[in-house]
Amino acid sequence: MKILVPFKRVADPENANKVKVPVGANGLGPKIETTGMEFKPNPFDEYAVEAALRLTENGTAPKARLGEVTVVTVGGPEADQTLRGALATGADKAVRVEATDEQLDGAIIARALAKVVAQVGPDLVLLGKQTVDTDSAQTGPMLAELLGWPQVTFAVQITNEGNGSLLVTRNGDGGVQKVRVKLPAVVTVEDRVSYSGGVTSPPTPATHKYADGVRFAPLPAIMQAKKKPLEVKKLADLGVDTALSVKYLGFEPPPARKAGVKVKTVAELVDKLKNEAKAI
Amino acid sequence: MAPSDNPLLDDRTVTFLLDEVLDLRAHLSAIPYFEGHDREGVEVLLAMVRKLARRVLYPTYKAQDEQPPVFRDGRVHLHPSFHAAWPALVETGLLSATRPVEHGDQQLPFVVHAVAAAYLGAANLNLVGLAMLTSGAAHLVEAFGDDALRAAWMAPLYAGTWTGTMALTEPQAGSSLADVETTARRADDGSYRVRGSKIFISGGDHDLGGNVVNLALARIVDPDGHAIPGTRGLSLFVVPRLRLDGGELVDNDAVTTQVIHKIGWRGLPSIALSFGDRDDCHGYLVGPPGRGMPQMFQMMNEARVGVGVAATATASAAYHESLAYAFARPQGRDPRHRDGGPQVPIVAHADVRRMLLRQKAIVEGSLALSLTAARLVDVAAHHPDDATRKTSQRLFDLLTPIVKSFPAERGFESVALALQIHGGYGYSSEYPVEAWLRDQKLNSIHEGTTGIQGLDLLGRKVVAGGGEALSLLLAELATTAGRAEAAGVDPAWGAALREAGDRLAATTMALGQRGLGGDVEGMLLHSHDFLELASVVVIMWQHLGLATAAQAGLARGGPQTPAFYDGKLRAAQYWVTHELPRVDHLADLCVRAEGSYAAVADGSW
Ligand SMILES: Cc1cc2nc3c(=O)[nH]c(=O)nc-3n(C[C@H](O)[C@H](O)[C@H](O)COP(=O)(O)OP(=O)(O)OC[C@H]3O[C@@H](n4cnc5c(N)ncnc54)[C@H](O)[C@@H]3O)c2cc1C
Repeated sequence: MKILVPFKRVADPENANKVKVPVGANGLGPKIETTGMEFKPNPFDEYAVEAALRLTENGTAPKARLGEVTVVTVGGPEADQTLRGALATGADKAVRVEATDEQLDGAIIARALAKVVAQVGPDLVLLGKQTVDTDSAQTGPMLAELLGWPQVTFAVQITNEGNGSLLVTRNGDGGVQKVRVKLPAVVTVEDRVSYSGGVTSPPTPATHKYADGVRFAPLPAIMQAKKKPLEVKKLADLGVDTALSVKYLGFEPPPARKAGVKVKTVAELVDKLKNEAKAI
Repeated sequence: MAPSDNPLLDDRTVTFLLDEVLDLRAHLSAIPYFEGHDREGVEVLLAMVRKLARRVLYPTYKAQDEQPPVFRDGRVHLHPSFHAAWPALVETGLLSATRPVEHGDQQLPFVVHAVAAAYLGAANLNLVGLAMLTSGAAHLVEAFGDDALRAAWMAPLYAGTWTGTMALTEPQAGSSLADVETTARRADDGSYRVRGSKIFISGGDHDLGGNVVNLALARIVDPDGHAIPGTRGLSLFVVPRLRLDGGELVDNDAVTTQVIHKIGWRGLPSIALSFGDRDDCHGYLVGPPGRGMPQMFQMMNEARVGVGVAATATASAAYHESLAYAFARPQGRDPRHRDGGPQVPIVAHADVRRMLLRQKAIVEGSLALSLTAARLVDVAAHHPDDATRKTSQRLFDLLTPIVKSFPAERGFESVALALQIHGGYGYSSEYPVEAWLRDQKLNSIHEGTTGIQGLDLLGRKVVAGGGEALSLLLAELATTAGRAEAAGVDPAWGAALREAGDRLAATTMALGQRGLGGDVEGMLLHSHDFLELASVVVIMWQHLGLATAAQAGLARGGPQTPAFYDGKLRAAQYWVTHELPRVDHLADLCVRAEGSYAAVADGSW
């Protein structure tokens, strides 16, 4: 199976409290201050890579690749390191579509990814369900729409049925749902696909137990990753409509959390919930 | 279990050190041996290491501390969490990462390895201790063993399928290894029969499977029962728990007799071992007879950097724990409105800020020094230029006792401050700091006590080569001071460092002359104060280097925030104002051979 995994570099969510917005006129800042910020791969994208690797290997011998995983990002050269990290954990190829943040919005990214899909020709596009910086969860659905492919969002378990279809368990509003989807398809994933039983795929014996979570790249693989192909394409060369449909007008930090209060009695709690919070 | 909220090490400080202070890029390109590596790959590696430290190793630490290994049916059983965490650590390839390509390895710079070790050690010293012992043992076989020994013992150690130990200490021979009594007699098959008892052997027994390969010091005894006394009689042997007999692993008569109950590093067993009770303990000589100590010492220097890194790591974890606590714990009020207003977080109190900045200065000074030393190891081993290699080795040798002892001693004080910031909660085992305090104490004891480090520095290192190493250090101090001034750092700081360096040189001269004049006892009387003096100066040198990079970063709008750079300048300022003034006092004690403790008669205690 050939799988494409869009992969994004985001500001480290664990450092979210260090994010600064310089304040401009009208209290809004022109951009988020990135100096001193640390960047990491979007965790949901890491889960997608893990799922993609499990779908393209025999888990008892993960070094023998049985399929191909290509990771793709849209961004500047600083994102190469993130791609190299994905290559080190086992992805086979990487593509970077050269662009600056100012040139991009969700729709342009989806259009660019659709072109990359056409060039790479995957059977499956696996994405994180959302990125932890903007949390918009749009890229997967927009891409599926542009491709005219079926999509399954919020996958927690994926089974390769071996006949060109996947059985996907997804978290929906009303509970858990099982969906059979014909390939090619777009699937967005939650963290649970990276748990021990998150992926079932025929070459891997059903008895094989993966460790929970994403795999760690051993040092030799990190060094070999430098030799794996990393192709850089220009956004302009992809022939996509690059007109921005979203404009960022300004940024402001979320309001600071107010200190909590301790209530002495249940009656007081009920009173506060009723009259102050108006929650009941 | 949940990953750590504690960052263990500050990622930004690590990046700052690698890019703006130590210039890793230049280091990699100056040394062809490292040509397989680039800065980006190092960052990918560190990303992996951080995840492993925070998500896998740290979550097992507390349970390992609370439930130490048990001695049952003659064998040692580790905490069950070792069985998943040890393979995860081994699979990173870090055990052998610095070793050459011809042994199938990665030639990773030691300085990068030291950063990785700091993260992993801050997360869990039990596991990292086992890894350091294993790669240390393999390295000894690699450096001094022949091909047969390497094939049999080195390869499985580097692969992490077996583990290794350093089996030096005996009940009557701790600091003084000249008194080692374990014997080795040559047998007909060319191997030796080993007999004796070792104590405190860390990692000497466990239930991880595979084998335990002890690298042991023993005294060769000839057929008439004669042996060379002292350290010249000591040789290095592989003494495995299981030996290879016709391709099979069989019991080698190396028996665990006791597991030591320890106050720290509690997850890693330290045991008493008995070799040859049945006279069937085979040992394999590594290197020539009588070369045991020099061979060990060659490795011990890197092990001593390892101790410095581990001590720094522990102090760093505790610092970050107390920093978060100081921002979260409301207690007391702003002194300007004592009775009114809400409680303030304790970080608002001057005395808490004192304890935080002191920790920051100790931790960051220790980290910078450990990495500077590790970088020197790289240069000394692999730089293409002969003279550069030699001078780096000299400077490294001089710094080793300081790298070993400063992070250990001040790091202990630093963890005590972290505990103090937690108040009564710090004294409770619900909070992690007390465990780090217990762990940290070991670092001033193993691999040569602080007392031994002081003697090594004053009795050997500063006088070596006619004081050449000290001149090299003084030249480094002057260069750093010059750079600091050029970068716009307060010129008084550089001047103070130069002056302190001169005082160190004058003190060394005075003590050296006392020694040459026959009063060796007087020369060494204040070896601890001398070590302290040299440490204060060397850490100032490091802080001035950090301050220079920070000032430059501020001036040109470097990659870090102004607040970050300012923090580095504050730590340097603290060292200038609080520690550097001690130099004169310490020098005075040394030069006067101040006599209080030397003069106490036995009956006067
Ligand atoms: C947890 C733990 C793990 C260990 N792991 C290992 C291991 O894996 N392998 C191994 O071989 N050993 C190991 N050791 C042993 C360790 O290296 C020794 O404890 C150490 O070298 C000190 O020896 P000692 O305990 O006999 O103390 P002693 O040598 O008796 O020292 C006692 C005190 O006297 C001082 N002193 C001794 N001689 C002098 C002198 N000449 N001048 C001035 N002061 C002096 C010392 O500084 C110290 O303060 C371990 C120890 C511990 C506690």
